[in-house]
This record gives sequence, C-alpha cells and structure tokens, in this order.
Amino acid sequence: MDSTSRHRTSKKPTSPAAGEAAVAPLPMIDMRRIVKTFKNAAGEFTVLKGIDLQIGHGEFVSIVGKSGSGKSTLLNMITGIDHPTSGQVLVNGTDLYTSLDESGRSRWRGRNLGIVFQFFQLLPMLSLAENVMLPMDYVDLYDFDERPKRAMELLALVGLEKFAHKHPASVSTGQQQLAAIARALATNPPLLVADEPTGNLDSRSADTIIQLFDQLVAEGKTVVMVTHDPSLTERTTRNIIISDGELVSEAVACALPLLSHRQMLEVTRKAQRLTFPPGISILGRDQHVDQFYMIERGVVEIVLQGRDREDVIVTRMAAGEFFGEVELLRGGKSIAAVRAAPVGPVELLTLKRDEFKQLLDTSPLTGDALGRIVQTRLKEHRSLEPRGIRWWPFKK
Amino acid sequence: MATVEQSSAQKYSPPLIELREVVKTYTSEAGDFTALKGIDLNIQAREFLGVIGKSGAGKSTLLNMITGVDHLTAGEVTIRAGDRPVSVHALTENELALWRGRTLGVVYQSFQLLPMLTLLENILLPMDLCGMYQPRESRRRAMELLELVEIPEHAHKLPAYISGGQQQRVAIARALANDPPILVADEPTGSLDSVTADHIFDVFEHLIEVGKTIIMVTHDMGLMPRFSRHLLLADGEIAPPPAPVTPAIPAPGRARR
Amino acid sequence: MRPRWRKVFLDLFENKLRTALVVFSIAVGVISIGVITGAYVIIANDMSASYSANHPMNVELRTEDFGSDLVTTVQGMRGVADAEGRRIFAMRVRMPGTVQWKTLDLVAIDDFKKVNINLLRPISGSIAPAKQEILLEKKALASLNLKPGEILELQLQDGTTRQLTVVGVVQDQTTGAGDFLSPPFAYIHTDTLEYLRQPNQFNRMFVTLSENQNNDEHLRAMAARIKDKIEKTDVGVGRSRVTKTNEHPMASTVQAILGILLALGVLILFLSSSLIANTLAALLNQHLRHIGVMKLVGGRRNQIFAMYITLIVAFGVIALLIAVPLGGQGAFGLAAFIADKLNFSLMGYRIVPLALVIQIVVGMAVPLLAGLLPVLNGSRITVLHAISGDIAEETAPPLAGGKKREAVVDRVLHRVTTGLARRGYHLPRPLLISLRNTFRRKGRLLLTLFTLTMGGAIFVAVFNVRVTLFDYIAAVGNYFKADVTVSFDRPYRLSEVQRDALRYPGVTAVEGWAFANAEVLFPDGTVADNMLILAPPVDSQLVEPTGLQGRWLLPGDEKVITISESILDKLPTLKAGDMLRMKVDGKEDDWRVAGIFKFVSQQGTIAYGSYDYFSRLTNLANRSVSFRIVGQAHDPASQQILSDGLDKYFRDLGYHVSETRTGKSTLATASESLDILVTFLLIMALLTASVGAMGLTGTMGMNVLERTREIGIMRAIGAVDAEIMRTVIVEGVVIGTISWFLGALLSFPFTYMLSTIVSLAVFNSPVEVHFTWLGYLIWLGVVLVLSALASVLPARNAARLTIREVLAYE
Repeated sequence: MDSTSRHRTSKKPTSPAAGEAAVAPLPMIDMRRIVKTFKNAAGEFTVLKGIDLQIGHGEFVSIVGKSGSGKSTLLNMITGIDHPTSGQVLVNGTDLYTSLDESGRSRWRGRNLGIVFQFFQLLPMLSLAENVMLPMDYVDLYDFDERPKRAMELLALVGLEKFAHKHPASVSTGQQQLAAIARALATNPPLLVADEPTGNLDSRSADTIIQLFDQLVAEGKTVVMVTHDPSLTERTTRNIIISDGELVSEAVACALPLLSHRQMLEVTRKAQRLTFPPGISILGRDQHVDQFYMIERGVVEIVLQGRDREDVIVTRMAAGEFFGEVELLRGGKSIAAVRAAPVGPVELLTLKRDEFKQLLDTSPLTGDALGRIVQTRLKEHRSLEPRGIRWWPFKK
Repeated sequence: MATVEQSSAQKYSPPLIELREVVKTYTSEAGDFTALKGIDLNIQAREFLGVIGKSGAGKSTLLNMITGVDHLTAGEVTIRAGDRPVSVHALTENELALWRGRTLGVVYQSFQLLPMLTLLENILLPMDLCGMYQPRESRRRAMELLELVEIPEHAHKLPAYISGGQQQRVAIARALANDPPILVADEPTGSLDSVTADHIFDVFEHLIEVGKTIIMVTHDMGLMPRFSRHLLLADGEIAPPPAPVTPAIPAPGRARR
Repeated sequence: MRPRWRKVFLDLFENKLRTALVVFSIAVGVISIGVITGAYVIIANDMSASYSANHPMNVELRTEDFGSDLVTTVQGMRGVADAEGRRIFAMRVRMPGTVQWKTLDLVAIDDFKKVNINLLRPISGSIAPAKQEILLEKKALASLNLKPGEILELQLQDGTTRQLTVVGVVQDQTTGAGDFLSPPFAYIHTDTLEYLRQPNQFNRMFVTLSENQNNDEHLRAMAARIKDKIEKTDVGVGRSRVTKTNEHPMASTVQAILGILLALGVLILFLSSSLIANTLAALLNQHLRHIGVMKLVGGRRNQIFAMYITLIVAFGVIALLIAVPLGGQGAFGLAAFIADKLNFSLMGYRIVPLALVIQIVVGMAVPLLAGLLPVLNGSRITVLHAISGDIAEETAPPLAGGKKREAVVDRVLHRVTTGLARRGYHLPRPLLISLRNTFRRKGRLLLTLFTLTMGGAIFVAVFNVRVTLFDYIAAVGNYFKADVTVSFDRPYRLSEVQRDALRYPGVTAVEGWAFANAEVLFPDGTVADNMLILAPPVDSQLVEPTGLQGRWLLPGDEKVITISESILDKLPTLKAGDMLRMKVDGKEDDWRVAGIFKFVSQQGTIAYGSYDYFSRLTNLANRSVSFRIVGQAHDPASQQILSDGLDKYFRDLGYHVSETRTGKSTLATASESLDILVTFLLIMALLTASVGAMGLTGTMGMNVLERTREIGIMRAIGAVDAEIMRTVIVEGVVIGTISWFLGALLSFPFTYMLSTIVSLAVFNSPVEVHFTWLGYLIWLGVVLVLSALASVLPARNAARLTIREVLAYE
C-alpha cells in the first residue's frame, strides 16, 4: 500500500476529527475509569486497569490487542455482557450498570446494539430468516406481520435473500457471518459491536464483511470491532490499542506504529502531557529541542518568517502527528516555530530525549523508519529554502 | 534463516518428521473446503519450528495431521522417532493412541488439564495409560518434570488453584511424561499475558537444548524471532519467506484520522 | 491410587446432582423390585404357614341346631382327626353411649381351653370368656374401639339390649379367612347364649381330617360323607365348604395381585434404566474433553472403556447400598400391611435371600446394560471430535466432522414451519426454538418419552381399572337392588307384609322371596358344589342380572334355574339349556339351566329360580320369611335409616323380626377392599410417573447445559429472563404433551391387560372393561404440571447464566 492510498483512507468523509468527537454533546460510548478484576482460586487478576474511552456517533473503531490484553473484556463492558468492578459506562445515553439489571440490560441491548460474534452464533435450529426475526420478537419491535418483511430486506442487504430459508449449517461460514450481521441490524440499533468478526473467515469473506461495515458507517451507524488482525485496523477510522489492561494513547500509536504494544504502552505511561491554549507558542524558532512531541488533540501550526518577517504558516499538524524528531536525531535547535492553532487548545504528549533514544535502541525498526522520515523532511526542507521560506517540518 | 546454521550432517540425515503432499479437505453441506493444499515439509530433530498464520490458515489442521488426531485426505506423514519410521495415518485409532502417548507430547492453548486430578496426577496419567514406567518410578519422574517447569511446590494442587501460566507449564510437563522426542504445541501462549508467555518460551528453549524437537503453531508474528525456523501458512499453503526489508510496514508519522 | 482410577473415583463426586440422579434412578428400580419380590416371598411363605399353624378346619358345615353328641359322632368317623361345634350368629352391637349399630358375627364356644380347630391367638386380655363376657377379634376393633374391661351393648331381636363385658382381644386367622367381605367376629361362652336368647345348641361344625388334608378331592369326598352322616341324624346341612390346611384360602388371590405389582416393578426398572441410559449418555458427553485428553496422552479404547464401566459399577454399588436395606424394609412393610388386611401374622423381619440376589443382579446389570452403549460410543470417540470444542477456534471450518443428515422429524418440522412462513403464516420464533429444540436430541427424547408415556399409560389405566372394578361391583349390586332386606323368624303372607310395609313412609315396593339350598352333583353322584337358590318373583325389579349366556327366568318356569358363572370352575362344559343334576331340599333331580350369569365368585355359586315354583316346592306358597323392600332413596345412609325404622315398625306391629339389613352393606365392604388394591396400583402408577418426571427433569437439565451457549446468544440479542425460561418450559411442556397423547393411546391395551389380570385375581372371572375420562384428564393435568415443574429448575439455571459465562463456555 503506498502512501497516497493510505492518505485517502485517513480522510474518510465520515471520520470526525478527534477534536470534534470530544466536543460532540454526547458520545455514543462513554467509559469512565473502568476497572475489571477477576477473582478465581489462583488469586485476583486485574484485566482492565482504569479505562477512559469515548467513542462518538458514526465512528468506525477497531480495538486491537494481543490475546490476554483485555480487549474482549473491554468489549463486554460496552455490550453490558460483563459488569465492571468499578467505573461507569454510558452507551447511547444509558448508564448500563447502575440503572439496569441483567434482564433490563438484555432488553436494552436488544434495542440499542447489535452484536456480531467471531463464531457467528446463529441459532442452529432456526433458518437464517428466523434468526434475523428473533431479536424483533424478543424486544417486540415492529408489528408481528412486518417482521418477516424486514428480515428479508436485511438479508437482501447482506445479499442472502436466496438463502433465507436455509439453516445456518447449510451455508458457508462467510454467509453465516453475513446473516449474523443482518441479525445484529434487526432492531435497527445505532451501535454495532463485533468481536473478531472475521477471525474465522477466509480473506475474501472477511473483505465482504468489512465492506458491509463501511457501508453501515456511511449510513450513520457506529461500529466498534475487536480484532487482532492488523490489516483490518487499516480500514477503520480510529484504532484503539489495548495492552495489559490499559489503553495506548492514540497519539503514540499513530506516531510510532512500529513499536510493540507493550512498548507503546510504556511510552504512553512515560510521556508527559502538556496543554496549550489556542494561539500560544509551543516551540520558538532556534529554541533548543529536548523532547519528542506527539499531538494528542488539537491542531498546531508550523510557522516560519517570511521575507518581511511576517509569520507564514507553512503547515498545520493534527492529532496523531509528531514533531521534534529531526532535532533529537540530528541534534540542534528548532528550525521552525510551533504554536497552538487559534481554533482550540492543543494537548501534546512529550517524551524526553534520553527516553526517546532508549526507545530507538529497543526498536530498531522505529529508528530506521524515523531516520527515513527525517531524511525526506530535510530534503524537502532544503528544496524550499531557495524560495526564501525556510520551513519545517514537512508535512506529507 | 536459522536452518542454514544446522550442521550438514543433520541436514542430510532423513528428517524426523516428513510431510509429503498432505491434503486435507473438509466436506460440509455448504460445500468442500480444502484446509491444506498439498503441504511438503521436513522437520529435523532438535528444531524449534514455528508455524505462523492467521486464523483459518490451516495451521492447526497441519498440527492435527502430524499428531494423527485428524485424518488426511491425501498424502503421507512419516515420523522417524522410534526404531522404525511410522506412517502416521496407517495406524488404527488404538495403535495411534499408544504411539502418540510415547512419541508426541501435545500442548494446547487451553491447557486441557483434567480438573479433578492434582497437577502430579495429571502428569502421572500418560505414564499410567502407556505403562512405560513402574508406579514408583513414574512418581519420581513426575516430580522431576514439575521441577523442570519450576513448580514442584504446587504438585498436590488442583489445576483451578494455579494461574494460567502455571497450568500451561503443567501441560508441558504432562506432554513430556513419557519422554517423547517431539513436542507439539498449538498456540501454547495464546491465553497468557506476555510476561508469562516469555517464561513458556524459556521452558521450550531449555527443552530444545536437551534434545527435543518442538513444533509450535501461533498467529503472533511477533514471536517469529524466537523460533529456530518458521514457516508462514496462508490459505492452506506454505507461503514463500517474506522479503527481508520492511516496505510492507507502514511508515510512521501518518495522521490516521 | 493410579491416576486413572483416581479420576474415576473423583468423577463420582464431581457433579453431586448428577450422581444423585443416576444413583436414584438405579435405586428406584432396585427398591421396587426388592420390595415386591421380598414381599412376594415373605407372603407366599408366611401367609399359609401362619394359617396352617392355627389348625384350620378342613370342612366347615352350616347346619341346623345340634348338640355335642353329634360332635362326638363326627369325631369318631374314620379319617376325621377332630371336630368341634360352634354356634355362629349375627348380632347388632354398639358401644354404649353411641347410636350406630354394627353387625358382629358371634361365635359361641363351649370350652375355650379345648379349642383345637381355628385357634384363637391372644392379643390382649383373657382368652377364655366366662358367662356374660366377650372376646373381640382384632378386626372388630376397627369399628368398635373397646378395651378389655369395657362394655359392649347388644340388641336382641325384640329390640331389648344386653350388655357383655369385653375381656380380651384375640386374632382368628382362620374362621373367616376365605371371605374378606365377612363381618368381624366376637367370641362368647355357650353359657352366655341363653342371656342372648339363643338356643344353647351348635349350628356350625368345624372338622379337621387326619390325612390328605391338602387334597381337594379327598376333602370334598370327606365333606360329603360327613354331611351324609349329619343329615342321617335329622340335622339339615346348609352349606359345606372345604379348605386345605397348607394354603391360605386367599393365597392365590394375593399372589396374583403381587404378580401384577411385580410386573409394574419390572416396568419401573425399565423406565429407570432408560433414565440411567440418558444420564450416562449426558455424562459421557460432558466428559468428551476428558476422554479426548486421555486419548491424546496415550489412552487406548479399552482403558477408557474400563474406566467408565468401573464408574458405572460404582454407581451401581452406591445405589445398592441405599436400595438393599430400603428394599428389605419395604418388603417387610408391604408384607405386614397385607398381613394386617388379610388377618394373618408374619414370622418376623428377615432378609429374603432371593430378593437380595435379585436386587444385586438388577442393581449391577441394569446400569451396565443401560450404560454400555453410551460408554462404547464414548470410548470410541476420536481425539479430534472429543476436543474440537476447544480447538474449534483454530480449526478453520466449523463444519468439520460433517453434520449429520437431517432426520425425518426435523425435515417435516422444518418443511411445515418454513412452508407456513412462505405462505405468510409465522409462528413466533421463540416458540419455534422450543419446538425444534424438542427434537434435537432424538435418542434422549425417545427415552424420556418412553418413561413418561409408560408412566402416563399406567396412570390412566389404573383409573380405568378402578372404574371397571367398581362398575363390576355395581353390576353385582344389580343382584341386590333392595334397599332393606327384612328376615322374619317364621313365614308371613305376602299380601300381609306388603300391605303393612307399603304403609311405612317412603316404602315403594315389597317383594317376598323364596330360598332353597341345593347341591350340584357330578354325573357320578358326588357333590360338585353347594349353592343357594334365590327365588324372586319372575317379574322382580330387584335383580338386574348380567347375562353370560342363555336367558333369564320366565313365568311358568318349573325346575329351571339360572346359575352364576362360578359353576364353570366345577363344570367347565356347562352351557345354557343343559340339564344339571341337583339335590334340592334332599330331593335329587335333573334341572334345566336356562342361563348363566356373571357374579362375584367369592360369594360362592348362587342360582335363581322362580318364586312361584320354589314357594310351592318349600310349601310356603304366597308366604315368605324374607322380604326385599325398596325405598325412595338408595344411598347407604337412607338405607340405614329405612332399615332401622322398618326394624322397629315391624317389631311394633308384632312381627317376629329376625334381622333387617341394608341392601348394599356387603357391597360397601367389597368396594373398600378393592380400594386397597387400587391404591396399590395408583402408588405404582405414581412411582412410574415420578420416574418419568425425573427423566424429564434430567433431560431438560442436560438440554439446557448443552445449549448454554445458545441461551447466551439469545440473551445477547435481547431475550429477558422470562423469555429464556419460557423457551425451556415450553419445550418441557411440548414433551409432556406428546407423552400424554402417546400415553393415552397406550393406556387402552394397558387397561385391558391390567383389568383382566386384576379381575381374574379378584373375581376369578374376566370383566367388561370400562373407561373413564377422569384418568386421562387428571394425567393431562399432572403431566403438564410435572413437565412444567421439571423444566423450571433447569430454566431458572439457564436464565441465571450471564452471557460472559456462557460465551466463556466455548
């Protein structure tokens, strides 16, 4: 995949910027300080260690983590399948664990979210159409006589209208998963949650599933998907990494994607958080740079001085981008001024010089990649200099 | 690749495990599905082979072909562990059980310890069933194995009372009970956190040192460096080794939102 | 212990509920078999042993009054071991201070110390009453709660009362042994007879023989000889009856009933074995993973097989430890119950070796047989299949291993429901789930249906049998339609009695009947049977016979009788229209048998002739000593009131009343004893039904356990607790309903079978089978409630599962 195509995916029309998500009045999912501790005979084990997570309406989010990282537990907190040891979960405005009992959650779930499982979990004794009608029966949505029609429409949506009266065992696994998605959509819920939806499918079926998700997101649904397949995370609008029960900062994950999850978490823990009000300077020109900056929220402006000593904004950088690596790798002073854009405050995660160096030592892949970026940026920087504008860093 | 470092003597002796044109097709109402599409594979003694692939790539099926747990559709699996080579799929289910008990230790992701037996008894079970050791000797041996995996102090506990990592160690000890030359592991670290998984690898590496051959299946690419050799399995076929450089890996610094 | 045996040992206690279910299933069968065989053996032995231990008479003769010299004469006969005279007469008695009169048969004995036939066993107080004292037979205590020292009030025929002091309670196992419909006995000294205005003479002779006491033919020949001897002294003999020494007269009846219970016991065993098979199959299913692991580490088929067979043997041993003592106790309890009802005594508690052996064999063999198939299948399972549940995540095709082809019932169900759906008729999906789930585990369903259906069929059949028996008794009642029978000491003119009786308020009809005693003779001249001939008016409204063959009486019939079917025991070839050699009132002649009718053979053979002919024959034309009176109401209470009123009325008019009896008093006793039998059958039916219900509970429990994951999915897509419980309960109720239909069908052959066996045992003749909707209805209610209850517990467990647990179940 070349850089342009990647560029395109990152600019999906439906994807709201992180800042917009934060200011949206009510997120679809709002998790606050979620802790989950399992107890068994062997002792206690904390799977989720205080998770804060907001997911906005219409986002297509992937949650990624190794086995044992707590990703399925996290998902179970959203679906109300499991209950947290402490903390609060609001989904679509409903507080799942203080206002509802188990049965109440079942009914709420039936109306508000569709779940897609790795193993499809269609009921084997019902035909595909009947499977799709079942949630409507359970939560009593739509007129009884309207349900078959709606089920057929949903099966048509996933391309299974011909198989409506077949039993799950008589169709392929990919078709089973499509039917499971149709079932998840039966009650027209605003939120779709999928646990490894393609984990048991060949790559072609997996592709169909993801395309279907894309289409649903385009229609305004929110889709949250757990996966350990990196190729799927490419296709979501937001990627959340969980490692050992903690969330990796999305800024870190974007800036340093070649780190292992554990290293990312390490960086997240070590990094300092700095907040700048709109318009305030972050780095002055020629200032000594001693940190690696990752943008978590907001927009920064890279400013050079034009011929008339006026400020020229060379570029803007948004969440997920970083600066300061050239100086740290090459040594020296900042070659451009950086300031918070006037649209809103900026939150930065910073890594100290020695920590940054240490990181590059443990992850040579990251070092190589950064080195290549520094070279590209410097080259483009130099090519701009004859025009009298010395600007840096370079945004691709 | 690590295989290059193997001595030429080892390289040209007949392989310990030999797969020839192994095909496995599952038939179901929804149609045929070929999980293995003609696998050729030689595994030498003292290799630590990693079979890496996504879910559905056929890696567990491949393992089941080697252990004889599943029947193959075509091809042949030969294992030269005992006095004479054994064609795995020519054995009856009963012969297979005894042969497997003595030749192959199997470790699964979900440990598969019998919950009602203590750890010691779990390790004694294969010796009891295969009758390779006298009762007193098997007890001594079971304790040794527990020491090998470094949990002798829990010998008389039930599996539910130890952690997942410890359970997997017991499962490994049980797999070694009849002193089989080959250990087969299906996602042995799949249910474990990364630190615990490291310990399991330490045990495996120790076993390679004492002369065992280990075949391990995983979907975790990150474990690649820990094997003496690995092969990538995709859609039922052995994939060509990836190019050494990393253009496929996304460059950093990209704003994804 | 070697680890594999230790696993077997621990498996026993792994799931206590399941172990309890298996052990209980085995124990139920073993206990019921143990109880019944034990009781059978104890009763077969003790009933006759205790009977013969009391020196039972071999010949009993009802005679006109005689004195002790005749006794001496009979004692002197060759072949006679001993003879004793008694006076036996009915009296109305009551406890002082109470109103209700009861009937006792008083037995007067001249020397209690020398009683050597039909011994009395002391229970409390004295065994030898003096003048104006009385001994009560233990059975009398049921209606007269008197202790030694208390007073019994007796009513003489003129209505005056007499008082006797109760001095003791005895048990008489022999005197009324052949007839459990007879009233209870009491014993007085002959010195008291005068006080009761009875002649000091005997009217009953008990004779024991010195040889061949158990030979029916010899007994009958001797009875005829003794009868001749007595009649030669001008003492008329009413009836004679012979009984063997070594066999209780009711032994064959009781054994026949126990035989029925045994058959039911075997059935329960079958049912419990299907329960065991089901539970063991589920156990093996749950142990698939263990089996897979053991095979994986080198376990061979035989080793696995041996482990699980050992487990089953252990279940059997535990069940036996519980069942053998309970079965022994139960056997003795049942035997004691029957002994009490039939008035014989047991020879103490003991272990019956035969029953013990049968219990052990059954307790080991049944679970082994029931478990053989599941264990064979389980030990044959391949490792892949066994552990695929756990490695499914990595074996790409979930359909690996191949789905079985759809069974017919699934296909039908699927076609019907989807066919309906295509036409736009939709069943709610939750109901569809219940319906289709019902048929998912077909083997299990079949076994469950088998137990439940059998239980239901027996349950319903027992109700039908009850109705059949009581209808039969009611049919017998058609021979006794009079509300009150008044007997006089001497004959009165019909017109006179009719006139007086009809003046009594409430009396609607009066008939005078004639009677005669007759002996039926074999062609060789020996006596085949004694019988009483009743001679009502030909147009009598008080006899509604159930004919077997031939016709009823017609006006003008002379030397013609209709006879009860029990004669066929003696003369099997007799047909309506045949001539029968009889001795009536001492005159031997050939009589025509106009018809044969059904009648309770327990009462002996009876015959009907026409009043006109018999009254002339007995020189009592237009007169009678016995009158049948019909009132307006026919229930026992009204009959009793009418009886008491008429008794006083006739005495006040100066009639010499000998006895007034209500018409159906005998029938009431008969129904009571039948009720005991029906109760037994019902207990067995309930036992089978409860085994069935247990089977259903087990099945539903296993179903829910296996479908835990699906229940989780239902929850995940919005099903609330109530919905999940409903899904499970509806499935249970569907199974219950199916079993009801099958049981209702099966109840027809069962009813015929059971009715025939029981009526042959009790009445010595097959009866016409009657059906009642009551049993079907009650069983429908019971099975619906049972199946709902059986599903509630599993359903609640199902609803309690959280989805996380459920999905972790993978």
